[in-house]
Order: sequence, then C-alpha cells, then structure tokens
Amino acid sequence: MTEMTALDTLLPGPLSLAGHRLGTPQQAGALTMVPVSGPARPGFVPPRTGLKLSRVTGYGRLELRNGAPAGVAIVPLHIGYVQDAAQNHALCRSALLGPGQKLLFEDACCVQQTQGGYLTGRDQWFFVLPGELRARALQLRGVHGYAKLWDDIADLNHRCGLPRRGHLEQILSRKRPVLTQFQSRLEPQPGQVGALFLVAGRFAGLELCPDPRYFAEMWPALACFAYGVAAWRTEPGPVPAAPYDAGTLAELRAALDRDRTDRLTGIAARIATAALDEPADVQEEERYLDLRLSTVTSPHLAGQIVTDGGRAVYASLFAR
Amino acid sequence: MDTPTLLTHLQTHDTALTLPRGGTLRWDDADLHRAAHAAGPEHYALLALAPGALPWQRARVLLQTLAASQAGLDDPTRGTLARLARVLTLALPPAHVITVLLALRRLRANHKHTTRTVLRFVLEHPDADALIAARRPALLDCFEHALGKTAARGCARRIDDGDTGSDYLRRRLLRFLAAPAAAPARVQALYAPAPAAGAAPGAAPALPDRPALALDTAREHPATVTATNRGDIAATLVHLYRGGPAADLHAALGRQLDAAARAFPRFAGTVALVLDASASMRGYGEREWAVLSQAAALRMLLSQVCDRLEVVEVGGDERAPRGATDLAAGVLDALGTGPDLVAVVSDGYENRFPGDLARVTATLPRAGVTTPVVFCHALFSAADDLALRRPDPSLPQRGFWHQDDFTALLPWMFAHCDAGSPWLDTALHARLDVLDRRAADLTTAIAA
Repeated sequence: MTEMTALDTLLPGPLSLAGHRLGTPQQAGALTMVPVSGPARPGFVPPRTGLKLSRVTGYGRLELRNGAPAGVAIVPLHIGYVQDAAQNHALCRSALLGPGQKLLFEDACCVQQTQGGYLTGRDQWFFVLPGELRARALQLRGVHGYAKLWDDIADLNHRCGLPRRGHLEQILSRKRPVLTQFQSRLEPQPGQVGALFLVAGRFAGLELCPDPRYFAEMWPALACFAYGVAAWRTEPGPVPAAPYDAGTLAELRAALDRDRTDRLTGIAARIATAALDEPADVQEEERYLDLRLSTVTSPHLAGQIVTDGGRAVYASLFAR
Repeated sequence: MDTPTLLTHLQTHDTALTLPRGGTLRWDDADLHRAAHAAGPEHYALLALAPGALPWQRARVLLQTLAASQAGLDDPTRGTLARLARVLTLALPPAHVITVLLALRRLRANHKHTTRTVLRFVLEHPDADALIAARRPALLDCFEHALGKTAARGCARRIDDGDTGSDYLRRRLLRFLAAPAAAPARVQALYAPAPAAGAAPGAAPALPDRPALALDTAREHPATVTATNRGDIAATLVHLYRGGPAADLHAALGRQLDAAARAFPRFAGTVALVLDASASMRGYGEREWAVLSQAAALRMLLSQVCDRLEVVEVGGDERAPRGATDLAAGVLDALGTGPDLVAVVSDGYENRFPGDLARVTATLPRAGVTTPVVFCHALFSAADDLALRRPDPSLPQRGFWHQDDFTALLPWMFAHCDAGSPWLDTALHARLDVLDRRAADLTTAIAA
C-alpha cells in the first residue's frame, strides 16, 4: 500500500474503479483513513457551495436546490442539515440535480425528536449520518414518516452513554468539540478524491467523489460524523511507548520502517478480507443524462453509487 | 537537578510560603531549592528572573539566597547575588518579601548580605512609608533582626536624639544603605509608639500590593483570539499567506523580526527544528493560517538567534502546508543533522502513525542518542484542548500561541541542552542588568 494499490482489485465487480488508487494510510485513534486518488471528473457541483437547502415544507419533507449555473449536483448520501431552533433533518438517499433544479425529498427524516420549527435556507451546516444509522436509513428510503429513525437514534445515543432519545444533536452538537477534531487528526492529501475508512481495524466505508473539491467539502462531514462517531466510541486509551530493539540511529530508522511496513501490510490484509468483492445487488434508482444512481447491497456492504458509462463518479458504501 | 526541571518547577509550583504564628516556616519544596542552590548559587538565583517564574517561587529563591552563607563565593558572584536580591525585593509583592524577611528571622540567618537586603527593603523601598504604616511590628522585627536588637535600638535612640551621621550610626546602619538620607525618619516611624490600648480604632492602612518594579513584561490578552491578534510577526505572515501586498509586508516582517530577535542573545549552537507543515497546521475557516503563522514566526526568530538552524519540514512546507504528519521520521532526520537540540513544533495531530514519535524517542537512549528532544505545542489559543494532541507525553513540552510566548519559550528550549546553559546565563544576566538599572533609578528617586 505504500506504493499505492489499485482500488479496482478490492471492490465489487459491477463498480469499476479503474484509475483510482489507494495512498498511504493515516490513523487517528481508532479511525484509519486510506486516501483514494484518481481522475477528477468535470461537470459536478460541490455540495457545500453548490447544493442548498431551499426549504422544509413539513416534517420529513425537505427541498434541496442546485444553485449553480452549470454542473450536476450529486446529493451526498445521508446528508443532513443542522440549524438552531429548527428540526434537524437528514436524507435517506442520494439524488441527481441538474443546474437550477429543485427536488423535494418527501422521505427525509427528522433527527431531533422534540424540537419544533422548520429549517430555512440560512446558516446551514451539514453532516452525514453516523455509520451506525446508515444501513437503516438506506433501508428506509422511499418510506414517508418523519419519525422513522428516532428509535435507531435513541439506541445509538444509549450506546454512546447519552440519554435514550431520538435526538441526534446529542451527539452532533454536544460531542462536536471532540468529533470535529477528526477533521484535523486526519489530513487529506492534495488531489484526494475519496477515502477508505476503517474503525478499530475493521472496514467501515468507502467514499468516492467526482473531484478533489467535492471531496474537500465532504471531508468534515465524513471524518467527523459519518465515521468519527464510531471512532470516538472506540477511542483507544494511551499505550506505553515500547522502545524498538535498536542500538544505533540507523537501526532505529530501519526498525521504524519495518514496523510501518508490517502495519501497512496488516491494513491491506484487513481491507482484502473485508469481503468487499462479494456479489452485490445493484438497483438503479435515478438517471440524469448518462449518469446512473444505483443502490448497492451485498451481505456486508451497502450504499449508493453514481456511474457514468460504467465508471464510478461517486460512491458512498459502508459496512453493514 | 537539571535546569529545565528547576525552571518548570519555578513556573508551575504555586504554593505560598507561610509562617504560622509561633510555628515553623512552611516551605514545602525547601530541599529542592537548597539542592539547586548548592549546585550553583548564581545560576540558581538567576533563574528567578526567567519569564513566567511564579512570585512565590521567586520569593523562595530570595529566601534561599539570603539564608545561605556566601563563604567561598568570589566577588563578582556576590555582586550578582546582591543585585538580584535587590531586584527581587522590589519586584515581588511587598507581602511576599515581608514573609521572606520574617522567615530569615525565624531561621536566624544574619549574614552581611542578609542585613543589607533587609535594611534596604525596610528603609529604601519606594513605598517604605506605606509599608511601615501597614506592617510596622513585622518590619520592626525584621529591622532588629538585621542589625541585632541592641544595635537597632541604639541607632534608633541616636536618631531620636538628632544624630544623622555619627560614626556609630554609619558603622551600624548607614553603610548598608544606598540612600541614607531617608533612613532616620523611617527608623523613627518604626519605633513610633503604638496606639494606646483602648484608643479609638482607625482603619488600618492598606499594605501596598503592587511591586515597585515590573519584572515580567505585560502581555497582550485579546478578548477574542483571531488569526491576526497573536503578535506582529504572525499577523504579517497571515496577510502574506492570504496574498496581501508582498513588498510592504516583507519590509514590515524584516523590521518585526529584527525587533524580536534583539531581545535574545546569540545561541552558539545548532537547533534542528521539526516543523509540522501538514494540512491541519494550515487550519480552516476563520482560524486558517493562525497556527502555522506562529510556528513560522518561531522558525524565523530562531534563524536569527541561532548560529545554525536546521529545519526539517513534515508534510508540505510553510507556504503550502499539506498532507500527513510523520513526526517520527522528522525527528530521525533532524537528529541526522548533528544538532545540540531537536525541537518539534507541531499542533500535535500525529497520524502517520500515532505513537511512532513516542516509540522513536523512547528508543533514543538505547540507540546511544543523548541529544535532547523537546515538543513545542503550536496552539490557536491558551484555551486549546490538548487531550488528543499529545503525541509523546514523555517529551518535555510547552505550548505557544502568541509572539509574547517566545520570551519564555526560548529559555525553556535552550535550557535542555548543554549549549543552552551559557546562553541562559547571558540572557538572564542581561535581564538582571536592565532590572538593576531600573531599581537604581527608583533609589535615585528616593534620594532626590
């Protein structure tokens, strides 16, 4: 993996990731991030600057707008919006929006059980649902009912040692100071278009974006919330520093190199054994010109992908 | 005890000296101070002037210095200790000094240098009149301890009789003073009758609590820390990084660096700086460039102060911070330059891989490497949460976020290496010279 590993050898057959490669992993606590580099696909609008929440027409009904004059907006899978004094909402699915288009998501879910008020277009910051909720949220795409995720949120809160309530902001806001540090604890590489995440040594997800700018705008939401929550829950305690068996500086450098090679080999092995290439069901959900948005489901993997002529443009796949 | 440990103790161990009525002096770290004094009285005493040393620790140094005999010390050293004692008695809160002087009495320390310092404090402090008014019994005890009760009362009697310069007065009292003209009136005040029992109680005069001499430079405390209110150099760098007018900013940067470097003597050694230039050092949003600019300011200052500075950048570079943080390899590269000191400057987010720095530094002793390694924590503000930002808790570490922090950071860094010892003494001697001149100005003002 130090010499970059081709990604298409590791992932499901229907998803062509030719041209994408893995870089050198980074670790922060329980979270490992393997950078993905690859070709930048032109013609896509980044989510923070291009995609806007235009209004909420009712609980569980949220409208997004592609405000860019050109370029397709791929709505990131499981994106959610937070505002003070309004019901925070999250989406259960991705979508494709042409320039200037609006789309009303009638299958959105409220993630703040007892907070009244509707989100408005101002002061938005977005998150991605924590990995623990994503399989359920994906399962609930197309299902109307703003309260549909509250029980799962309450269970997650309980597992986090927080009151068992359908309030995701208990994690997102109250734990924000520690979660947002993942944005700095891990550091994207120049030109990075995606990342593969492991939590506590186990594959947790693969995120692929059309271009580096799109990925950079997704980075905080992915690192801090989609994967950071699970990593925070399993943050390892301090470990005493064991000296290497080295009698000179040269031997020390060699010992460090060997140790790192071993660790990289271990990470590569854990990715290889994550059963990512097992047969998957790919169900097309939407089209926009040559773009196809599909839901991928396999025994240990789920998520959505956007392809262009069979090549992956966007992917958000997570362990289930 | 090594200098960095002592320095850290002086800057962190914040408990008061106390003298319970009728009890023994409570001095919890007396052994440490005695040992440090025995190892080198001048070096020990000068450390009290290090920026950031706590008032009660400075008081302990004053106490130890005045309590100890100076037998065997050469004249220059005695001179330095005398000047230092004089400076400390003016630069500490008067209540601290009075505690020290009463402790000397309790310890029965009555060396000549003790006598001189006590008398000059009691009779020549710029606020002596107010001090006597507020703490007359205590100061009278100090005065009589310094001279001996018989001599003290003999002097007082003669002064009461109008004597201002007899041989007796000169030999017993005036020869210890720098401004003897003011002494008679204050001795009379010390021996003024106490208010009669049953007299109407008046409000006790308040003891002046502000030192007569400012020892540490007052520093900037912005209510809200921003990217550009953390010192001049970092502010200019932030504007440069943001694409401001390069010619004007570079000219200003040169002036600001020269001014900052003038405060430090030349370091006759080599520092290898492991400079974290990874993506997180750049930061984001309103804090973008804030941390990196201060780290760069430190790098620039060290390049002016050190005879040789080797910089090992980790991740990207100052102008284009990017990528991961590999501090372990950075330290190994830095050690390869043969430095006197390795200083790691980082926000503390080690991700390639966490724990590697700690394992490498833990191995250094068995690899035969004795070069000290210190960790300079690059912060956004003093309130940063460092719980997840200590890549190697075993390393000596100190944070910095403002240019003013360099005043204490550089002595702390250099103190860890052999080449730093003479640097530290030079820096502290220069500081003593400045403070001594200001103390002399105060005395001159009294004499006038």
